[in-house]
Amino acid sequence: MASISISASLQRACSSQHIRRKQKPIPKPTYSLGTKQVMNAVTLDMEAQKGYKTETKEEPASEMKKSKDPEERLKDEFETESSAPKFRDERWKNGTWDLNMFVRNGRMDWDSVIVAEARRRKFLEMHPEATTNEEPVKFRSSIIPWWAWLIRTYLPEAELLNGRAAMIGFFMAYIVDALTGLDVVGQTGNFICKTGLFVTVIGVVVLRKTQDFENLKKLADEATYYDKQWQASWKDENATSSSDRIGNT
Amino acid sequence: MAACQIQNPLQNPLSQLSIRKTRPCLHKPHYVTITAAGHHLSGRKLRVAVIGGGPAGSSAAEALASGGIETFLFERSTSTAKPCGGAIPLCMIDEFSIPLHLIDRHVTKMKIISPSNLAVDFGSKSLRSHEYIPMLRREVLDSFLRTRAQSAGAQLIPSLVTHLEIPSSSFSPYIIHHSINNSRKTLAVDAIIGADGANSKVAKFIKAGNYTCAIAFQERIRLPDEKMAYYQNLAEMYVGDDVSPDFYAWVFPKCDHVAVGTGTVCAKQDIKLYQRGIKERVKSKINGGKVIKVEAHPIPEHPRPVRVRGRVALVGDAAGYVTKCSGEGIYFAAKSGRMCGEAIVRASDGGELMIGEDDLKREYLMEWDKKYVSTFRFLDMLQRVFYGSNVAREALVEVCGNEYVQRMTFDSYLYKKLAKGDRWEDLKMVFGTLGSLMRCKIVGREMEVFKL
Repeated sequence: MASISISASLQRACSSQHIRRKQKPIPKPTYSLGTKQVMNAVTLDMEAQKGYKTETKEEPASEMKKSKDPEERLKDEFETESSAPKFRDERWKNGTWDLNMFVRNGRMDWDSVIVAEARRRKFLEMHPEATTNEEPVKFRSSIIPWWAWLIRTYLPEAELLNGRAAMIGFFMAYIVDALTGLDVVGQTGNFICKTGLFVTVIGVVVLRKTQDFENLKKLADEATYYDKQWQASWKDENATSSSDRIGNT
Repeated sequence: MAACQIQNPLQNPLSQLSIRKTRPCLHKPHYVTITAAGHHLSGRKLRVAVIGGGPAGSSAAEALASGGIETFLFERSTSTAKPCGGAIPLCMIDEFSIPLHLIDRHVTKMKIISPSNLAVDFGSKSLRSHEYIPMLRREVLDSFLRTRAQSAGAQLIPSLVTHLEIPSSSFSPYIIHHSINNSRKTLAVDAIIGADGANSKVAKFIKAGNYTCAIAFQERIRLPDEKMAYYQNLAEMYVGDDVSPDFYAWVFPKCDHVAVGTGTVCAKQDIKLYQRGIKERVKSKINGGKVIKVEAHPIPEHPRPVRVRGRVALVGDAAGYVTKCSGEGIYFAAKSGRMCGEAIVRASDGGELMIGEDDLKREYLMEWDKKYVSTFRFLDMLQRVFYGSNVAREALVEVCGNEYVQRMTFDSYLYKKLAKGDRWEDLKMVFGTLGSLMRCKIVGREMEVFKL
């Protein structure tokens, strides 16, 4: 994968004392300073390398295959100052992911497709590439089935929330029993307890974090702001009517 | 996308919120108002000055002059080429009787390209054979409309307006101070239509308030023939954080060159950086091209707080009638000019009666808002949802791959009408959009884990 090869090449570069890996600056206001950028590149890649230690263990074969590529790419980078690192992955062919390469133990591993696509997009975000007509990108994320997305994102969070709700429920049942003498069977029959339960469940689902409340408020404000700008012409009539009519019209 | 408007119509139309639809002269219960509206002009016709001779001003002048009103059209420079995309919707050709030989190019294919370079073809399957997006040169269109206004009876005054005197009573005229060939002159008129663009002087004089502007920056590049053949009838739109933080970058073909540009609202000082970003993204397609012109222009983002005050009305860019999301302004400028001119003709009964602020508001502002507010609001929502982040832009490009979405978009863009869609397809489209947004958001969250 791209990051492994970059970090592999960087190790070689560091050891041979040719630190002149030029990274394309990300378009942000503070983009100058070439040397600082190189330092950043070095540290960032070191972190990435650590992050990928586990990956290297799993796929030693691919690293061997990549050993030729980094050298060629390193040469390319020295020759043409302005060329940015291109996204390269052995499973990315002709502008789309080769799904046959994601099969593991005879079954399709959709998780790794999602991860690979995320890495590709992140890479392109940091190093935007020129579009070409020869190799158009054709991959659509809709090819990944809906249950693969659910398993990856929805289920873990649901498990977390269910666990929290169960813990809260258990301790609240104990406390209410201690205070009122109603045991669990009695509590389920009581109206107040049932409404309390309902409110708690809705609350946990809607307001998972305190941030959510602020986000909702900001969203509501933004949504109505444009409308207010259009209505401003009409509101003004009431404000200026007294002075304008007697004076101006 | 346009069909979603059917599902969420305005429950309480803007027009009914603050104006009571009674008689022409609105009376507040507390004080007596003296207006000049309805006063018969003896012996002369109503005099109206249109300041600014672009599409808005020329259409207004034409409507006024054909209605029998004495019209004066001010335009300070009749030959400059305005920095502009130059695309007009198909309905404008019919509505404004634009001759077909003025059109430089017929764009029949569009490509929209996401931050990860996913390119979606817009129009190859969903545009019918007689449909296209006409591209023309602004100077050609503007001078055609201006000459037509002149032949309808408007007097063209090629001078720069320097000052506007606001009258103190509702009967006295507005005095326009203008300078032509270094000599100052004045002109007295009864009403004014301000069509002088984003940096409107008229708006300043009537204290119409300010608005936020986006800046559009573009370079015209002449390409070698084989590269130009690719853009024969293809326009491209690029989205991504590297080309614009809150808008899109474009490559539009013009008469014999392409215009490569980008725009932004929030990061105006970095516009050159974004221009470099777009040129990098299209590097292989514009290799060997020569830059022949560099231009920039402000584009209003929303309407001014005050669009009508006294007997002065603002139209076009001066009023802020530019849609979000696509940045389209030519059609709305011309349409608003025409509507305002027709409103004045109606209110003054062909130039016989004096008009007042209420006439302008009732006949022009209310009609315009009723017709187009929902379009503008919908596009504002689209811009906020889909241009906000790279994640949302990926979702936008994915959604645009759907043929039904493309068909609806073209119907609403080319004909400016609420596209009548199939309910079932609408529902599928909504679910598809939500699905794309969620998928791209999930991938976006995965992306944050990586520190490349």
